[in-house]
Amino acid sequence: MTSNKRVSMIVAAGMAFAPLLGSTAAIAQSKETITFAGATFAEAGRGEKLKAWVEKFNKSQDKIEVQPLAIPFSTLANTVFTQMGGGGGPDLVRFDQIDFYAAVPANRLLPLDDAIKDTDYNFTAPDKYLKVGGKRYGVAFEISNYVLIYNKSLVPGGKPPATFEEFLASAKAATVDGKFGFAFRATMAERAGFWQDVCNFVFGFGGRWSDDAGNPTVNSDKVVEGIAAYKKVYDLGAIPKGADAATYRRMFWEGKLAMEVDNGGVAAIFNQQAPDLPLAAAPSPFPTRAQGLILAPLTINANTKHKDAAIAFMKWVLRPENQRELQDIIGASSVATIVERSADDIAKKPWLKVFDDQTPNAVPQLVIGLETKTPDIQQIVLEQVLKVLQGGMDPKKAMDDAQRMVTARVVKK
Amino acid sequence: MGVLSLRQGLHLAAILGLLGAAAFPPYWMFVTSLTPSAALFADRARLLPTLSEAAAYREVFRTIPVATWLVNSAIVATGTTVLSIALAILPAYALSRFRFRGKGIFGFALFATQMLPEAMLVVPLYGIFAQMSLLDSLIGLILANTAFTVPVITWILKGAIDGIPIEVEEAARIDGCSRIDIVLAVVVPLVAPTLAAAAVIAFFHGWNEYVFAQTLVSSEALRTASVGLAGFVGELSTPVHSVMAVSVIYTLPAVIFYLFVQRYVVSGMTAGSVKG
Repeated sequence: MTSNKRVSMIVAAGMAFAPLLGSTAAIAQSKETITFAGATFAEAGRGEKLKAWVEKFNKSQDKIEVQPLAIPFSTLANTVFTQMGGGGGPDLVRFDQIDFYAAVPANRLLPLDDAIKDTDYNFTAPDKYLKVGGKRYGVAFEISNYVLIYNKSLVPGGKPPATFEEFLASAKAATVDGKFGFAFRATMAERAGFWQDVCNFVFGFGGRWSDDAGNPTVNSDKVVEGIAAYKKVYDLGAIPKGADAATYRRMFWEGKLAMEVDNGGVAAIFNQQAPDLPLAAAPSPFPTRAQGLILAPLTINANTKHKDAAIAFMKWVLRPENQRELQDIIGASSVATIVERSADDIAKKPWLKVFDDQTPNAVPQLVIGLETKTPDIQQIVLEQVLKVLQGGMDPKKAMDDAQRMVTARVVKK
Repeated sequence: MGVLSLRQGLHLAAILGLLGAAAFPPYWMFVTSLTPSAALFADRARLLPTLSEAAAYREVFRTIPVATWLVNSAIVATGTTVLSIALAILPAYALSRFRFRGKGIFGFALFATQMLPEAMLVVPLYGIFAQMSLLDSLIGLILANTAFTVPVITWILKGAIDGIPIEVEEAARIDGCSRIDIVLAVVVPLVAPTLAAAAVIAFFHGWNEYVFAQTLVSSEALRTASVGLAGFVGELSTPVHSVMAVSVIYTLPAVIFYLFVQRYVVSGMTAGSVKG
């Protein structure tokens, strides 16, 4: 075979092979396809139900099709921000709250005031956190409160601890026969979850990351008390150190973990995965009822070339029947608008009420007044908390250092 | 054959220890994939696989598009390998055989590309690929991976070409070969073992690469196995069995490929180490 023939054959083979490699966008489609990225589409149980819920929208349309994109939770923000930075990205994104506040000042999200009017919907209270600088940049896809979730068969006496001292004793007592009393995150590999857990302790002990004027207060007495309590639990010998959240949550529904402070989405998954588990919930065992709030907004990418289609989907999401169905899928969490639970639901799952009752005490896991700078402050605070947990640094000194760094590096920047 | 001496015994123990240390992680992966869910957090870990749980593998193929992921990864890895080697041969030959202005800078520039992490390049690359309609395609992914492997392979091949006596090429030229024929008919066969080593590097890069695959491709139908595997780690839960079963399946093609070219790799690595 001559060289020319060889080259011709390679080119011909390449041309035959090319369609297999080509973009799916090249496939002729009659509908305008928009993409919706979210980590939640990859979740066991809820993911498939959410995809089916999106499919209901697709079936109701003859011009628009929403394609769910399951992106791993740990890399969703990095992936989407990278794509946005390159001028593209998914049309719709279910962001984590903290990433939402990073996306807004970077002009990555479309303002929605013209499309979504407050007066048209009965929004839940946390909706106010989705407005930045007076402009709306999203609607809540999932709002989730934090309470103490416990396994009645593993907690001493089958009763939840009412105080922090009782909680320490219960966690210790439940740590027998390969079972653990409590679990939380304490590694930078799970930065977002680590922050959520630290916030629950700090808020529960009365601390806040900033004062009413928006000045950082990361070394206030109450914050230091919360960090000291975190350290006390870390050293208790009752937590599976090193286990990531996905692992210890699995341990919970496998009956190997007695208690954790977690959000309603997690409780719903426990209930789905192990319907016979003696699952119960109670207010978190801290001096105050204040706990964190997960707010996952549905947003529209400012780079989208399908603005009208994305808004059409968002308006479909906000319809009462679709809100009710979404709430059923996400379980103990709330949605953008107020949806009353049925008496039957409450009777079957009494822990739902504990989550719902927590709403007045829910505080966003953000530095209020410095929302857009929360990621920077979070990094500094968590690094200092790690010095307390693993390096044995005094909590007061660690948070004093954090306050200095936050003031110098973040606030005055 | 007598009893082993103390020295031989220590050597044997060291070899077995290293072998065990290397083999244990994949073995543990396999055991975990076949451990019943309820036993995953038992007080005592199971050291032997529960073969009755082998249906977990069938279940993985039934419920998860693992086969599609593997085919996509194979296309990307093979494409990266073929393209990388094809593109690296001529610059390697040029660096080895020609003197030209800026040769040193060109050689250094190739290395400099390796100093930049993928994460830094992925944003501009995304923008460029968007302009060229290369997003969400395996061809784009092959090109991105090739850009990373070509410099390394160029330098590896240059080292191998340096070891070929120039007289061999001169003889071919006297016989009437053109320069390009010399490269294809004389040089390439002589550096075949090194090409095999380079192919392993390119294949493994294409097979394992994650950042580009996650960012440049969004369609589930074009998802590679590295991205699919990462997708198991959820916000609220991680199905440990499935992760381990897919990890075992994911590892096998790469191991088979390595076994296939292994003897060429060894000879490639030692080629030129002794000058005669």
